[in-house]
Amino acid sequence: MVHVEIRAEELFAIGPLIVTNSMVGALLASAILLFAARWFTRRSGIVPSRAQSIIELPIEFLAGIVRGTGGTRWRQFAPLVLAIFLFVLTANWLSLLPGVGTIGFAEEVEGKKVIVPFVRAAAADLNFTLGLALISFVSFVAFGLRANGLRGYLKELLVAEPAYMTPLLTPIHLISELSRVISLSMRLFGNVFAGEVLLATMLALTTATIFILPLAFVIPGVFIGLELLFGLVQALVFALLSMTYITLAIAEHREHGSDEHPSGESPEQGAAPAHGAA
Amino acid sequence: MGPDQGSDDGAPPPNWGVAFDLGLRLGISVILGVGGGLLLDNWLHTSPIFTLIGMVLGIGAAMYTIWDVAKQSMRR
Repeated sequence: MVHVEIRAEELFAIGPLIVTNSMVGALLASAILLFAARWFTRRSGIVPSRAQSIIELPIEFLAGIVRGTGGTRWRQFAPLVLAIFLFVLTANWLSLLPGVGTIGFAEEVEGKKVIVPFVRAAAADLNFTLGLALISFVSFVAFGLRANGLRGYLKELLVAEPAYMTPLLTPIHLISELSRVISLSMRLFGNVFAGEVLLATMLALTTATIFILPLAFVIPGVFIGLELLFGLVQALVFALLSMTYITLAIAEHREHGSDEHPSGESPEQGAAPAHGAA
Repeated sequence: MGPDQGSDDGAPPPNWGVAFDLGLRLGISVILGVGGGLLLDNWLHTSPIFTLIGMVLGIGAAMYTIWDVAKQSMRR
């Protein structure tokens, strides 16, 4: 019987490091991307082959969006956004391969024999999505710091517009900032985990109808097709939200600069140092 | 500061990523406020003072998020 646990299952331990099946999924996705990048950089040409075009298609699609919404500094964060997109996309689609989530070792849980899979969708583990969300959070804070300077950034974060409202608005602002990390991580985790549960349920249901062959193949096929779409959408949403946060962190400074100085190029007040990232 | 508000290569796509984000952030803001308040109350044995304060702050943070997103969208 296939079962899906909300917690990633432990496979083995290397000293204090516990290796879970979702970690194996994430490592496999990284390995696939590394090999693909190596292959791609060696074989890519100015006139793309068919395989090269297929690989370039999603990259060019997202690069177009980043170029369109990322402002003039889009080149600074485009690699990060593209890397997040490709990593999440590979991890999501990897989980749809035959054997992932279904081949493992048998274990007895509460008197029932269940399969503990060797590989599990990386994003079906909150640790993975939270880690990615933290990378995204640190990035947009870093870009904000770079554009604003430490003083300007802290002023933006901690000091409210009418100064007497600061004690009330600062915790509200901090909660709002923190909610970004949690929303990023929970959305990806929730969607991918729900997809895993849905697929497991559909497989279990159609096992009963194994003698009606069209049903046994068509129903899981439909849901796997849907999961392909959801995997793409979730990767896109995660990458685009990271980009939006970074763009806003940079734009906030520009707008403040343009409010105070029409040229926006040389804020002279000590609280808002000059642009760090040219 | 015109150049950074859009693209030179085409019309900027709608900022729909923020819309995806907004709904979830509203709920999370309230949960964070109330959760933080509950933790503080359990720690300091002051129930329900910090829970109420946390709830007010959480709801405030949710409203602030809406205001912030609307402000950013209008500036764009």
